[in-house]
Amino acid sequence: MKIEILYPEICNLYGDLANIRYLKECLPDAEVIRTSLQSRPRFTEEAVDLVYMGTTTENGQQLALEQLRFLREPIFERIEAGGNFLVTGNAMELFGERIEEDGVEVLRGLGLFPGVARRSSINRFNSLFLGTFDPSAGSSDAPSAKAGGGEETIRVVGFKSQFGHMYGTDGDHGLDDLALFVPERGPGMNRYAAGEGIRIKNFMATYVIGPLLILNPPFTKWFIENRLGVSIPHLAYEDAAMDSYNTRVAEYSDPDTGLYYWGGTTERWT
Amino acid sequence: MKRLKFLLALWCAKLSVIALKVTGHRGTDFPGRVAVKICPDFLHQARLPSRILGVTGTNGKTTVCNLLIGMLRADGKKILDNNQGSNTITGLTTAVLRDMSLGGRSRSDVAVLEIDERSSRVVFPLMAPDFLLINNLTRDSIMRNGHPEYISRVLTNAMPEKTKLILNGDDLIASNVAPGNPRVYYGIESMPGDVKECINLVNDLQICPRCHSILEYTSRRYHHIGRAFCPECGFHSPRLHYTGRDVNEKEMTFDIDYRPHPVQDDAPVQRQADPGNAAGAEAPAGDGWTHRFRILNESVFNVYNVLAAVSYLSELGYAPERIDQLLQKTEIVKSRFQVEKMGGYSVIKQMSKDRNALGSSRAFDYVSGLPGDKELILMMNNLSDAAVWSENTCWLYDCDFEFLNKDNIRNIIVTGPRAKDYYLRLKMAGIDDDRISFVHDEIDAPGALRLYEGESIYVLYGTDSIDLADQVVARVKEVISQRTKDAPAAERGTAQ
Repeated sequence: MKIEILYPEICNLYGDLANIRYLKECLPDAEVIRTSLQSRPRFTEEAVDLVYMGTTTENGQQLALEQLRFLREPIFERIEAGGNFLVTGNAMELFGERIEEDGVEVLRGLGLFPGVARRSSINRFNSLFLGTFDPSAGSSDAPSAKAGGGEETIRVVGFKSQFGHMYGTDGDHGLDDLALFVPERGPGMNRYAAGEGIRIKNFMATYVIGPLLILNPPFTKWFIENRLGVSIPHLAYEDAAMDSYNTRVAEYSDPDTGLYYWGGTTERWT
Repeated sequence: MKRLKFLLALWCAKLSVIALKVTGHRGTDFPGRVAVKICPDFLHQARLPSRILGVTGTNGKTTVCNLLIGMLRADGKKILDNNQGSNTITGLTTAVLRDMSLGGRSRSDVAVLEIDERSSRVVFPLMAPDFLLINNLTRDSIMRNGHPEYISRVLTNAMPEKTKLILNGDDLIASNVAPGNPRVYYGIESMPGDVKECINLVNDLQICPRCHSILEYTSRRYHHIGRAFCPECGFHSPRLHYTGRDVNEKEMTFDIDYRPHPVQDDAPVQRQADPGNAAGAEAPAGDGWTHRFRILNESVFNVYNVLAAVSYLSELGYAPERIDQLLQKTEIVKSRFQVEKMGGYSVIKQMSKDRNALGSSRAFDYVSGLPGDKELILMMNNLSDAAVWSENTCWLYDCDFEFLNKDNIRNIIVTGPRAKDYYLRLKMAGIDDDRISFVHDEIDAPGALRLYEGESIYVLYGTDSIDLADQVVARVKEVISQRTKDAPAAERGTAQ
């Protein structure tokens, strides 16, 4: 199994790379490929089981896009063919139409989905996230399909900390149909959206940052089994991870737990 | 009218100071809030001391400030400082107004102010430091500070053009702040523990700021702190004006070379004239000097802090011999690092900044490198977060818990609201179950100590649990006292 990290020298904020360290512990035989800005991504030349990209700085977004722009076609082909991509934090914004800062377009994205990221140069938006993942949605044969299936939904917890939000090019709800997760508590793609993240075939992207796979053993198990094709998935430290997960789900479900953090104060949100 | 508004703000805020004293509150920035509410440009209106010395950066700014305050006080200076309050605009305003007479005049000779790096954008337009030291820019609170590149941008955009910068030249992020400002650099020559490849999880400067090629480090202390160059475009770490070298852990000393004009190909170095010289000492010699100074503890972090403080005083015009004398009279503030011996054990209370992966990594690296058996109580739990929401624990995965995977760290007690997250993180760091204890409440954590003979017990606490850490340390001492009474030494610390 091959897992490729794109541009780890710049896409490495907020503990995101721990996701791959954890996957490596769950899949000891996996080869982890670290592709720098100077190298051509391996997935464009050979079969790679998962392409991962993590959160970066605003300057890092520009540097990454300068490389990805030349790879737009192979990336789209790969996604169309059912290739697995996991993209976290603001790396997701690179795949939308454009990124604006304080109302001015600063970067043109790859245009995989009709989204515009609007960020502030000063304000930071912090929140917790509790949502659900529907395994039966968005199969590789039906891009963005939301047809309900037999599998139970999986609750997902995590953190968000970002300078901006993603909107549909046609409005606040424009990306709801492509959602990776459905928010239960905490914000979606923006303050009003009913969805969080993007799922197009097996391209999965989310604003949830940090140790997503470590914090969410049920989701990770599903991911390893269904996306990476391991029939009997083994999770590293599963008991400890489940204990932490259950505690966090209970905390985030508690209406007394604040979900937003605003520069030192929190605002309750239900 | 403006002056009246200022005085009204001052008097109201001073009344609130009295009210807070009467009601037994301390260390609050409420008076500053009052003043800013009434007079938003209070700091601009204020008649400040003739010399404003700022310190900012991610880690160590409180220690550097305390060293500066200690040394300048030892020199007989009256100091305005904010070390009892916050380092944001309301905390700084509180410090300023506390120092003022009712007529609005400062009573101090010099202001030594710790300035929150993110707050610089609102502070600097109102109050321009004459000197600003940036000791490092590394990852900090994800929620407030995002990432160091963002903080560097905030500082650069806000920097008053006349402020002279004293920069850690071993930190390529800090040393590139506000490139148009006059500056000097300090740093440490290669040390025995240096590496070339990064052994930390976080390395925030891997690519050349100019051409974006991969940087090569000729020496690296930790994370991105070290000396680097770009093999493609020739970019390199700045030449140092103040170079620390020959750190002697036995003698607890190190040498500093001062060279006023190091070879510098990035920007011309201007040594500012020092009119006024509020500090009142002689200007440094034009040819530089070499002098031996004491270090306050052997951690590299604190060597940097002392080097920073010495460089600062030298820039103020103090001669090295005088700095040395003043440093001899100064200690690291005890709330951050405290050692007590008891019944053959050492009990160490050490701050390990929560939400700050680099700060905790440095603490872990330091503790793990010390000889002898150890037990640790990890209680960096962001209690203020736990009170209203649930902590964002991303930082645990940027932090090098792997340093704690050492045979002589025989028991790590995880405790408090995020104990389960710590447990999982320690497992991921490869630490076996038999070396981890789980205790729900911090105050009960000392009960899980095993007390290996002659060991050191570290209580690692966060920024908002100073009082709780004191209680835990007291409880540790009770446990030692009780167990040493109950059982002979040979029976302690043998069962797992």
